[in-house]
Amino acid sequence: MPARNHAQWTAKPPLANDEWIDSRIYSDQEIFEQENERIFKKVWVPVCHESELSKPYDFRTMSIANEPIIVCRGPDNQVRAFLNVCPHRGMLIERRPSGSFLEGQPSGNPKRITCMFHAWQFDMKGNCVYVAREKEGYQDRLCKEEVGLRRLRCEVKFGGFVWVTLDDNPAVSLEDWAGKAFTCLQKSLDAEPLEVFHYHKAIINTNYKLWHDTNSEFYHDFMHYHNRVTGFNDAYFARKNEAFEHGHVVVGTFEVNYQNYEGFESRAALSFPHLPPNQWYMIDMFPGYNFNLRGSALRCDIVTPLGPDKVMIEFRGLGLKRDTPEERQTRINHHNSIWGPFGRNLHEDLIGVAGQGTTMRPGTESRRILHGRQENQTIHDENGMRHYYDEWGRWMNIMPNNPDQTWSERSTASAAVAAAE
Amino acid sequence: MATNGVDVAGAVRDTIYRAAIHLDAQKWDDWLELCDEKFHYAIKAFSPEINYDMIYLQGTRKEMQTLIKLLPKHNTDHSPLTRHTTVYTVDVAPDGKSAKAVSSFVIYQNMLDGTNSHIDAGESRLFLVGKYIDTLEVSDGKARFVDREVRLENRRLDKGSHWPL
Repeated sequence: MPARNHAQWTAKPPLANDEWIDSRIYSDQEIFEQENERIFKKVWVPVCHESELSKPYDFRTMSIANEPIIVCRGPDNQVRAFLNVCPHRGMLIERRPSGSFLEGQPSGNPKRITCMFHAWQFDMKGNCVYVAREKEGYQDRLCKEEVGLRRLRCEVKFGGFVWVTLDDNPAVSLEDWAGKAFTCLQKSLDAEPLEVFHYHKAIINTNYKLWHDTNSEFYHDFMHYHNRVTGFNDAYFARKNEAFEHGHVVVGTFEVNYQNYEGFESRAALSFPHLPPNQWYMIDMFPGYNFNLRGSALRCDIVTPLGPDKVMIEFRGLGLKRDTPEERQTRINHHNSIWGPFGRNLHEDLIGVAGQGTTMRPGTESRRILHGRQENQTIHDENGMRHYYDEWGRWMNIMPNNPDQTWSERSTASAAVAAAE
Repeated sequence: MATNGVDVAGAVRDTIYRAAIHLDAQKWDDWLELCDEKFHYAIKAFSPEINYDMIYLQGTRKEMQTLIKLLPKHNTDHSPLTRHTTVYTVDVAPDGKSAKAVSSFVIYQNMLDGTNSHIDAGESRLFLVGKYIDTLEVSDGKARFVDREVRLENRRLDKGSHWPL
C-alpha cells in the first residue's frame, strides 16, 4: 500500500483487538493519574536491594506513586518500610537518598529517625519516641504513642530485593504475586547473598509502559548490533516468551556467544549459581519492573512514572556478595559493556523509547501501536506485550485499544485468525 | 616546572587540552594518538544511593580502539559533546618523566537528534560534570596519557553515550 491518508492512517488495523494499542494510553494525563491510583498504589514494588542497607540503622529513601518512602534496617536486622512523612506537619523526614541513623543529626539523637523541622523522633519500628515539649503543647490530648509513622508492608525476597506495597491489604501476597515468574531464577538468585555494584538513573520523556514494552519484546534486537552478532541463531529464535498470571512474562534462555562481538568474552567462568554457562533469562514484572540475568551479572530496572510522557528508570547491577575483587571487576565489565550508561545496548534502547515518547506526547493524535506478531510465542512474538495489556486493562478497567471503553476480555488473535479463515 | 629545559607541566596541560579538542571533534584516533600503549581509561562515579564506588566503563587502549572502531555499527545519539576543561593541578615527578594532573570538566550536549530535533536541535544542555584524573608520561618534550580516570558527579545519565568522554 502506498503512503496513507489520514482516514487510512487512523483506521482500525487488520488485526485482532488484542494486537494493537491506542497510543492515548501512553499520553493521557487522566489515564496516568488513574494508573497511580489503581495500579502503583496497589502492587508490590521492588524499591531497592537489601545490600543497599546492609547494616542495622542503614536506610534508603525512594517514592511510589508520589508517596515518599523510607526503608530502614532495624537493630533486629529486620527491614521495614514507612511513609517518609512526619505525622506532625507533613515534612519529608529523611532527605538523603541513603545513610545511617547510627549517627545523630543536628535535630536528633543517634539511632533515631528524626524530623529536622521540630525534632520529632522515631525508632526503627516507626514508633514515635520523642515529641519536643510534648506535655507543654499537647497536655493530655495527644501523646507520642498516637503519632507513629505510617508503616508499609515490606518483604525481602527473590534474591534479596526489598518489596513494598502502599496497600495494607494487597489482593495477593508477594509470593503469590511474583513467585511463579521467579521460579526460573529462584535457585540462582537465592543460592547466596547478592550485592549491588551498579546504580544510575535515566529520566526520559516517554511513557513508562513503553520502557516495559521494550524490555518485553525482543524484536527490537535488530536495533542492537551486539545482540545480532552474539545472538541471532536457531537457539535464539526458539526462545519462548512465557506468560504468568498477574501480567508477568518470562523470556526463556539460550546460550549467548559473547565472543562474537569483537573485544568481548565468554561469561562462563562467572555464571551465577545453578545457571548453565552464558545463559540469559529475563523476567518482566507487571507493571514495570525487570530482572535480567545474563550469565555473570544481574540487572534490575525499576520504573517510577513521573507523568504520561515522563519516566524515571533506575538501573541496578548485581553480583555475588562473596566475589573477590577480581571477580567483581569482571562482573562489572560484563554488566557495563552492554548495560552501563556508556555500554553498547542501553543507549540504543533509551534512544528508541525517547523517540516513541516524541511521537506520543500529550496532545498528539491517537496512533495505532501494533503488538500483532505471532510466532508461536517465540522470541519475536509479541505475546508478552499482549499479555501485559490484558492485565493492564483489567486493573484500569480500560480497553487498551480504545480508552473510551471499559474493559472487556479482548478477542484473541487466534480467534481472529479462525474467523478470517 | 622545567626539567632539562623542558616545561613538563606545560606539556601536560597541552596534551590534556589537545585531548579535549580531539574528543570534541570526535577525532577518536587523534585522541588515541595522545595515549600510550599501556593507556587505561575508566569512567567512575561514587553512588551514595548504593554506597559504592562504581566503574561505568573501563578499557585498555586496545579495548577503547575496538569500541571506537565498532561505533558505526551502533545506533547512537549524534548530538555532539563539547567539553570545557580547566587543568587545576599538575604534579611532576622528581625525575620529570611523569606527571599527575587533575582537571575539572563540564560536558555539554549540543542537541542534534535528541528527543525532537525540530524543537531541540541547536540547544545546548549540561550533560556531565566531573574531573579528569590523569597520569602522563613525558619524553622528548611530549606528554602522553597512561591513565585517565573520568570521575563523574552524575548518576542521572539519561540516554548515556557511546563515546569516550
